[in-house]
Amino acid sequence: MLPFLENPYLFLHIITIHLSYIIFFLASAAALIYLVEDTQLKHKKTKVLFSRLPDLSFLDKLNYRLIGLGFPILTLSIISGVFWVRDIQGAYWSWNPREVYSLVLWLLYAATLHVRLSEKLRGRKVAILSLAAFAIIVLSLFSNCP
Amino acid sequence: MELVVLGINHKTAPVEIREKFSFTGKPIVEVNRLLKESAALLENLILSTCNRVEIYAVAGSHDKDYLSRIKNFLGQYHKINITDFENRFYLHRNEKVVEHLFRVSSGLDSMVIGEMEILGQVKQAYHEARHAQTTGKVLHRLFEKAFNTAKKIRTETAITWGTVSVSSAAVRLARKILGELADKKALIIGAGQVGEQLVLYLKKNGLKSILVTNRTLEKAEVLAKNFGAQALAFEGYREKLSEVDIVIASTGAPHCIIKKDDITHLMPKRHQRPLFLIDLAVPRDVEQEVNKIDNVYLYDIDDLQKIVDVNINLRKSQLENCEKIIVSARQRFIDWLANENLKHHEN
Repeated sequence: MLPFLENPYLFLHIITIHLSYIIFFLASAAALIYLVEDTQLKHKKTKVLFSRLPDLSFLDKLNYRLIGLGFPILTLSIISGVFWVRDIQGAYWSWNPREVYSLVLWLLYAATLHVRLSEKLRGRKVAILSLAAFAIIVLSLFSNCP
Repeated sequence: MELVVLGINHKTAPVEIREKFSFTGKPIVEVNRLLKESAALLENLILSTCNRVEIYAVAGSHDKDYLSRIKNFLGQYHKINITDFENRFYLHRNEKVVEHLFRVSSGLDSMVIGEMEILGQVKQAYHEARHAQTTGKVLHRLFEKAFNTAKKIRTETAITWGTVSVSSAAVRLARKILGELADKKALIIGAGQVGEQLVLYLKKNGLKSILVTNRTLEKAEVLAKNFGAQALAFEGYREKLSEVDIVIASTGAPHCIIKKDDITHLMPKRHQRPLFLIDLAVPRDVEQEVNKIDNVYLYDIDDLQKIVDVNINLRKSQLENCEKIIVSARQRFIDWLANENLKHHEN
C-alpha cells in the first residue's frame, strides 16, 4: 500500500493542499492581469483598448471568487494536516516552519476574503493581497517545507 | 467600351453644394432608369450618400459625347446650371475608375479613414442599380470586385482598427473598466455637444439608465427628454454620485466642481465600486488628483483625443498595404476588361 494511503488524514491533506494551490494559482493569475490592466488604464496607455484580455470588473470578481473557493479547501487541508501530525507525532501543533507558513497563508487569505466580501477594498489592493498570499505559497515551496 | 465616374465629394465641395446634387426624394431605382434613358448609356449606377454623389457609367467606344449627356441630366434633374459647379466635379476614366471605386468601398476615401459604413452604402447603391436593370456585365464585375477588395483590406490590414471618435473611445474604456454596460448607470452634469453625442452612444451600447443635471433644471429636462433619461436638480446630483458608474462632466464652471476629497469620501459609500469619470469640460470640471484614487478612472477630453489620434495614425500607417492590395486587384480587373473589349471587337 502506498504510504500516503495508510492514513486518511494524510490522504485528505495531500489532495486538498494541491487542489487549493491550483485554485490560488489561478486567482493570482487573474490578480496579475488585473494589475497590469489597471496600471495601463490609470496611465492612459491606449494599448489596453486593443488587448483581448477580460475587463477589470470581471478579473476582480474572478480573483476573489477563486479565493472564496480555495479558502475552505485550504482550511480543510490545514485541519487534516494537524490531525495527521497528531497521529505520527502525538502533538497537534509544534510551531515548526511548515505550520507557521500555513498559518500565515490562512490568515492572509482570510483577510483578503474578508475585506473583499465586506467591500472595504476592491480591485487593486485585493489583487495585491492575492499576489502576496500566493508569494507565501511559492516561498514555502522553495524553502522545502510545503 | 469606356468606363467613367463623375462625382462630387466631401473633399471637393462643402455640404451646401453636395446637397444640391444629392438624390433624395425619388427612389434611386427610378433615377437610375431615367439616367440610362436620357443619357443613352450602356450601363450606369448612382451612388448618393451624405459625403458623395457619384455616377458610374459605361459607354460605347464610339460614343463621343456621353459625358455632356450625363452632365445635362444632372443639371436638368436638379434644376441647376451645372457649369457653375463644374470645377467641383472629378472625372476618372477606365483604370482610374477601378482604383477610385476600390478606395471608396474600402473606406480610404472617407472623411473618417477606414470607416466601414460606406461599404454598406455602396452595396445598397449596387442593389438598387441592379434592381433598375441599369447595370450590365462590366459594372457587375466591377462592384463584385470592389466588395471583395474591401473585404480583403479589412481582414488583411489594420485600417478599421481602433476607435476614431471620442465617443467610441469612451465607450471602449467604460467596457474595459466596468464590463457589461447593461446594468450600469451614468450621470451627465452640464450640457455640451460632445457630451450629448457620448450619452447617445452609451445608450446605443446598452447602458441601463441615465441621469441628467444642469444648473438650469429646464435645460436638464429638455435633454432628459431627448435621451429618454431622468432629469435631476443640480443641488441634488452629489447624492446620486454614489449610485452611478459613469459620470460625464461638461459644465461651463470656471473651477473644478468635483474634488479629490469628494470622491475619497464617496468611495466607502459606493462600496468601492469602480467609477469612470469623463471630463469633457474646458476648463476642467474634475480635479486631476481624482485619478489617483483606487477604482476611480478619470479621462479628460485630451486623454480621449489622444486615443483617437493614436488610432488615426495607426490607420494611416496601413495605407501603403491597402494601396498594394488595390493596385493588384485593379490590374486583374483591367486585364479582364481589355479581354472583354477584344471579344467585343471580334464579334
